[in-house]
Amino acid sequence: MKRFAVLCAGVLGALGLAFTTAGCSGSDSDSASSSGKASITFWGWAPGYADAVKAFNKSHPDVKVTYQAVQPGAKGGYQKMLNAVKAGNAPCLAQVGYETLPSFAAQGALEDVAEYASPSKGEFQDAAWKSVTLGDNVYGAPVDTGPMALFYNKKVFASLGLKPPATWAEYKTAARKIHASDPDRYISSPYMDYDYAGLAWQAGADWFGVKGDAWQVSMASAANQKVADYWQGLADEGLISGAPMYDQAWYTGLGNDDIATVVGAVWQAGVIKGGAKKSAGEWAVAPLPQWSKSGTRVGNAGGSATAVLKGCDDPKAAWEFAHWLSTDRDTFGALVGKAALFPAAKGLLNLEQFTAGDPYFGGQKIYEVFAAAAPKVDSAWTWGPLMTKTAADLDDGLGKAWGGKGTIADALRRAQDKTLSEMKTQGLRVAE
Amino acid sequence: MMAVTAEKPLIRSRRDTSPASRGTVMALLGLSAFYFLFPLWWLLVSATKPFGEQFSGTGLWFDGWGLFDNIARLSSQDGGIFWRWMLNSVLYCGVGALLGTAFSALTGYALAKYDFPGRGALFGVVLAAVLVPKVLFTLPLYLMFSEVHLIDNPLAVLLPSVVSPFGVYLSRVFAAQSVPDEVLEAGRLDGAGEFRIFGTIGVRMMLPALVTIFLFQFVEIWNNYLLPVMVLGDDRLQPVTVGLAGWNASHVAVPPPLVVVGSLVSVVPLLIAFLALQRFWRAGMTAGAVK
Amino acid sequence: MTQGAAPAVARHHHRAGGAPPPEPSRPTAAKARPRRWKPLLFCAPFIVLFAATYVAPISYAAGSSLFTLHRSGLGLTAPSEVFDPLGNYDRAIHDGGFTASLGRIALFGVVQVPLMLVLALVLALLIDSRSTRGRSFFRLSSFLPYAIPGVSAALVWSFMYSSQSSPINRLLEPLGVAIPFFDHDVVLWSVANVVTWSWAGYNMIIIYAALQAIPAELLEAARMDGASAFRIAWSIKIPAVRGALVLTAVFSLIGSAQLFNEPAVLQPVSDGSVSSSFTPIMSAQSALAAGNYHYAAAQSVLLAVLVGAVSFVFFRLTNRGEQG
Repeated sequence: MKRFAVLCAGVLGALGLAFTTAGCSGSDSDSASSSGKASITFWGWAPGYADAVKAFNKSHPDVKVTYQAVQPGAKGGYQKMLNAVKAGNAPCLAQVGYETLPSFAAQGALEDVAEYASPSKGEFQDAAWKSVTLGDNVYGAPVDTGPMALFYNKKVFASLGLKPPATWAEYKTAARKIHASDPDRYISSPYMDYDYAGLAWQAGADWFGVKGDAWQVSMASAANQKVADYWQGLADEGLISGAPMYDQAWYTGLGNDDIATVVGAVWQAGVIKGGAKKSAGEWAVAPLPQWSKSGTRVGNAGGSATAVLKGCDDPKAAWEFAHWLSTDRDTFGALVGKAALFPAAKGLLNLEQFTAGDPYFGGQKIYEVFAAAAPKVDSAWTWGPLMTKTAADLDDGLGKAWGGKGTIADALRRAQDKTLSEMKTQGLRVAE
Repeated sequence: MMAVTAEKPLIRSRRDTSPASRGTVMALLGLSAFYFLFPLWWLLVSATKPFGEQFSGTGLWFDGWGLFDNIARLSSQDGGIFWRWMLNSVLYCGVGALLGTAFSALTGYALAKYDFPGRGALFGVVLAAVLVPKVLFTLPLYLMFSEVHLIDNPLAVLLPSVVSPFGVYLSRVFAAQSVPDEVLEAGRLDGAGEFRIFGTIGVRMMLPALVTIFLFQFVEIWNNYLLPVMVLGDDRLQPVTVGLAGWNASHVAVPPPLVVVGSLVSVVPLLIAFLALQRFWRAGMTAGAVK
Repeated sequence: MTQGAAPAVARHHHRAGGAPPPEPSRPTAAKARPRRWKPLLFCAPFIVLFAATYVAPISYAAGSSLFTLHRSGLGLTAPSEVFDPLGNYDRAIHDGGFTASLGRIALFGVVQVPLMLVLALVLALLIDSRSTRGRSFFRLSSFLPYAIPGVSAALVWSFMYSSQSSPINRLLEPLGVAIPFFDHDVVLWSVANVVTWSWAGYNMIIIYAALQAIPAELLEAARMDGASAFRIAWSIKIPAVRGALVLTAVFSLIGSAQLFNEPAVLQPVSDGSVSSSFTPIMSAQSALAAGNYHYAAAQSVLLAVLVGAVSFVFFRLTNRGEQG
């Protein structure tokens, strides 16, 4: 009898205690302690961030940053951040992709730090700075950008007498040759959501725009139709592999020469190196193929900011860390090695890491290609306010289109329709 | 008295089963065993291959031996955090399932053996709760735990997993079937209190059933994913399911073969629990079948 | 997906699990009943935690479902929440993706659940059969998948299904056959296979336990009368495990309705045949990811009510059958 009574009492007591403490809630987890030392929590997932935080704490005795790894954004990280904002105990800082920043703003999840950040505007590339600002508000520091290039399997290309294609027309010719040489061999895997967006970005095929205080959605524009038709043509001819990107089948294909190119951003160098170790020395990087012989436009895929989340008690210290993470030479040098990040800060474009040859890429100085591409990224691109939903709807259609059911153009049109309808349902103003 | 029938002894000899029927039965069973074991076999074979070879070949037969090397790599990744995750999982599941079983047993026993106000309503509400998808609970639970400052506290994972409507349902059924009223009466005549009767007589008679409930709870908590992801911030507090999913989503920052090896290793404690407690859960299952 | 069923509950538990509160059977220890409040002490820890971790979140969700999100202009600030009790529900029943997902899991429930239970029943009968050797091995091998976490099981199967390297299709290659696991018309059954693999053995164990409870004399008598093994299975064994079948069926149906892990894991490799609103929970989950908890809550409430109604009707029907 006693045992159970004690057990019951214990449980009830614990719960009672829990509920009484509920009464005095409201203090935040991030707060400047009385000793004057600022304390900041930072959520992110990029490899190398944990070490960067350690280095910061060593060199900044007045600010203590605590790093917590979360699942990558779309895999649960963003959801966790939004929940935390809603509950009022969000960390001061979080890694947020550029494509998701407007959605975070639309949830009221970001804190404006223009007061501290604005003077630094000139330190960052235009496109990157634009990604962290909305109107006069600045929501964080851009860390890296994703200028795109063409990763190609040099061995395969050479064996077929091919040179890296300078135009998309040449890319198509190469695609045919590669597939003709071996029915299991393809020029590329299908591109989804933000990787596909990079292809549209290059062609100047905007998805969203702002006109006055109304949104414009143009995923089904003529420019987008052109990009869609091009890739549709490759898919219809059976020149695109069925292996989904980032799936094991894709890594296998990259490693055994079955997938000959990746149109991707700089950080994908790290993914390819890590996932296709077998083909070390075979891969190389060339500038992104162009739509016309004289073209010089480049798209961007990915890149993220250190965003300041709503409710941050010490935005000044938060900005101090965010700015440091984006601009400290030694730290960023390490991030280049660990995650193949490309800096958003202009001052870092001459890092010594960028001048080193990469043995995986046959000794090529691959960052020269990306450094040349970065200034050519069109800074006019705008992300929508409901990007998570838009991307999910788009992927529903794209997946089918690449699989031979429906077309890429249809996928874009349907994503546009759904996005417009969702925007209207929520009361957003849309320009017709 | 204990309403547990052991498996029927095989005294029924096989003299009157024909070789043909025996052959058919065994062929069908063999087919089913193949079906159930095939994916597990693949996992096992892959985990034993040398590091990096996990996804090459058909994966159907052993090809080189690298299991120990793989486990060594698993142990050294991110400072050996994998084992920390395993320990967390075992702790969350062990403690959660133990408390959950205790609470379910108490409640199910009371529902079966006593009359009290609101008894029918309680049982009905508990059963209806099974209908609501748990995915929906994450946000409200998160908000509640933030209010009481339990974020980043293992209690935030433990408290919800201790509650098992299904466990209550089972123990009510088991208590009704395997604890005879006469025994309780006898206990009362001896002057024992109700809690004492439950603790000494009830628990003992329901034991096989309780082991079954414990196992079900254990597996369910082991499978829990969304809640720990949300309420735990510190990587070192996560259970192994969350940790492995994070590795899997890391775009090869953590080599994919480690995820395969980790998946295999993470299944081992469950298998051990099932094998070790086999005698009990089989008896527990059977207990419910006896009226 | 969580799918559960009571271990071997004998025939008289047909009313459990339905939507309206079933009346528990007559209290048995009525005579020397302790003071009326005392049993509540037994239940107290459970009730308190249940209220906190089930009732409170459910109420919160139900309450949220009555509000809709409203923004204006560019909407780059926090949205306002407007009380609009039917707004989200109205939207859900006109949401083609959501209604299609309901249809899909209805089909899933109608096909997968009976198939899985037939498989479980046949396995249980075979293992129980007198012609069987190695009972422990077969029992355990079919039960093992239950111990594999749902997400891990789905990951392993996603590799089995991979259009690039499916070991299954490699085995079938000599026959010139390749199964298109992710084809639009096939993918639902590929998911069904993962669920069946995970849960058939679990249900088998429950049915098997019920078989064990059949009195040996009854079976012996039938055998003396010259009944064949098949006849005995059909006329004695199957009716005897009817209660276990009904119960496993209801819990499997509830599990199917909440299908999530398996299709979500297969989605990225499915060539688009698993859409972001493939099942109702996936649909709710994507509303959640898009920041609209209110709409997600409405979808989940609708699902719970529908499943509750179906379970209730199912119990009613099977009861009548048993009484008649």
